[in-house]
Amino acid sequence: MVRASITAEKAGVRSVSVVSSSFMAQGRMVARALGFSSLPLAEYPGVIMLDEEAEFRKKIEGGLVDRIVEGLASDVEVASAVAEPAPRDVVFTGDLAAVQEHFYQNMWSDGLPIIPPTVEKVAAFLRFTDRSPDEVIGTLLPEKREATVWNVAVNGVMAGCRPEYMPVLLAIAEAIAESEFRIEDAGSTPGWEPLVIVNGPIVKDLDFNCESGAMRVGRQANTSIGRFLRLYMRNIAGLRIAPGGTDKGTIAYTFNVALAENEDVVAELGWKPFSVERGLGAGENVVTVQSVVAISLPIYVGGEKASDLAQTIVDIWAKGDVAAWAYTGMACGKWHPLLVLSPSIAMAMARQGWTKDDLRRYLFEQAKMPAGVAERYAWQMGATSFSLRRMVEKGKLPSEYHASDDPERMVPIFLRPEWIGIVVAGDPGRNQARGYTGNHEQGVPVSKQITLPGNWRTLTKG
Amino acid sequence: MCDRAIEPGRESVYEVVWPLGKSAAAPAVDPTPPIVDLNGKTVGELWDWLFKGPEIFSIVRQRLKERFPTVKFVDYSTFGNIHGSNEAEVIASLPEALRQHGCDAVISAVGA
Repeated sequence: MVRASITAEKAGVRSVSVVSSSFMAQGRMVARALGFSSLPLAEYPGVIMLDEEAEFRKKIEGGLVDRIVEGLASDVEVASAVAEPAPRDVVFTGDLAAVQEHFYQNMWSDGLPIIPPTVEKVAAFLRFTDRSPDEVIGTLLPEKREATVWNVAVNGVMAGCRPEYMPVLLAIAEAIAESEFRIEDAGSTPGWEPLVIVNGPIVKDLDFNCESGAMRVGRQANTSIGRFLRLYMRNIAGLRIAPGGTDKGTIAYTFNVALAENEDVVAELGWKPFSVERGLGAGENVVTVQSVVAISLPIYVGGEKASDLAQTIVDIWAKGDVAAWAYTGMACGKWHPLLVLSPSIAMAMARQGWTKDDLRRYLFEQAKMPAGVAERYAWQMGATSFSLRRMVEKGKLPSEYHASDDPERMVPIFLRPEWIGIVVAGDPGRNQARGYTGNHEQGVPVSKQITLPGNWRTLTKG
Repeated sequence: MCDRAIEPGRESVYEVVWPLGKSAAAPAVDPTPPIVDLNGKTVGELWDWLFKGPEIFSIVRQRLKERFPTVKFVDYSTFGNIHGSNEAEVIASLPEALRQHGCDAVISAVGA
């Protein structure tokens, strides 16, 4: 909304933005980052969705209207340019504790100790790419800073990555810089986190864990690459929590470690790796980054038939977290939930001839929910104009979403079977799955090939 | 120098670089002038399709017309969802749409 106001201002049209109390600071920070030291904001005090009708009207008539008029009549101030360091400038000198404190006070670290990013350490990372350090990969909103090869290396050092992770880090930066990923919305109130999924020979080359505890901290590649992404979002996109940050995750959760697929099992079953299903070539090194807004309970499945196993996933995951968030997909027209299967489940399904596509199809066909539940939750979340009837009338959803006006009618939870991601990882000796629900159009999966330097083999042998 | 030990037994000292990137924000523009009197002005409504926008705009429209009888409004549906799937397209087309409808000001809502 502030971005829309700034667009109007830059077109010479005066603006005022209506924001609730808890978004005032964020509004000011976004405006400042985009060149306005003062931009009119009209405050709605409190939480709109918790005010009764009379209170809601009173707050608008008794204050918001005045603030809109005052805002339009106030001065807008553009920010003067601030001198900032050049990439190779030394910005601080000190011992380890002093560096930690300096980075923490400047909001450049995540609260955990960082490895001091010296020029020499950054140079060690740059050996693992053929790209110029000054190459601009993209710009990351909301702070709209340039993502470069150089600052990927700097944040990789800080996160505790090994230099040889650099090609993976670059691919991650490329993915989140794509406009379709919508990194600017990673500070939205649901508090979603990006998840990095790694495929290809690099899983073994860099010693990713794809077995027991695949999503736990503990293996350097998984852990430090996951941490890198959160640090990079912090320092380049400016997604920091309060005070002083634009991240509005209401409760949120912390970074995901990188998830690596167990391609040995996938190959043994004749299944396609996740990256191949995303359209990349078999045997290519690939990262995919996508949002996760909720992680399911562990889903233990058992039974003789593949459909028995799949039905439990429907009952626990699809009709649980996924159903609760389904209206967001219906409203936005994009949604990519991800299912992680332990190898034993994949093997049991494959024994009966099932592929990932068969599982996807089953989930899509069997997972239904009452339409009224979706509409009721949409309203409570703030989508106060959401209506399945209108979505169908506008052609944005298929007719089966509004076969009648009965709120108990059942509608599909998943939008499309092909949008359900499936990754095989975890303890081969246990029959567990977990669901990772994405945040509709925010953080849609973006896949990038990992480009290795020409002398990769020499470097990694040395 | 970096990573250097000042003397045996003492901690290393690090010379560290900046972890941020250059700001790519567009250069500043001339600030828009204040609008004290909305009479005769056209106000565009920008909405993100959330948080009771129609109800808010309805009340705001009514109260502003009482204060400024000749103010005109361009309904939010004219501009599209400023925070939807096609946000980038809506924002890119906004300057032209505002010009086309003769907007002097916008009320952008609802951030919550």
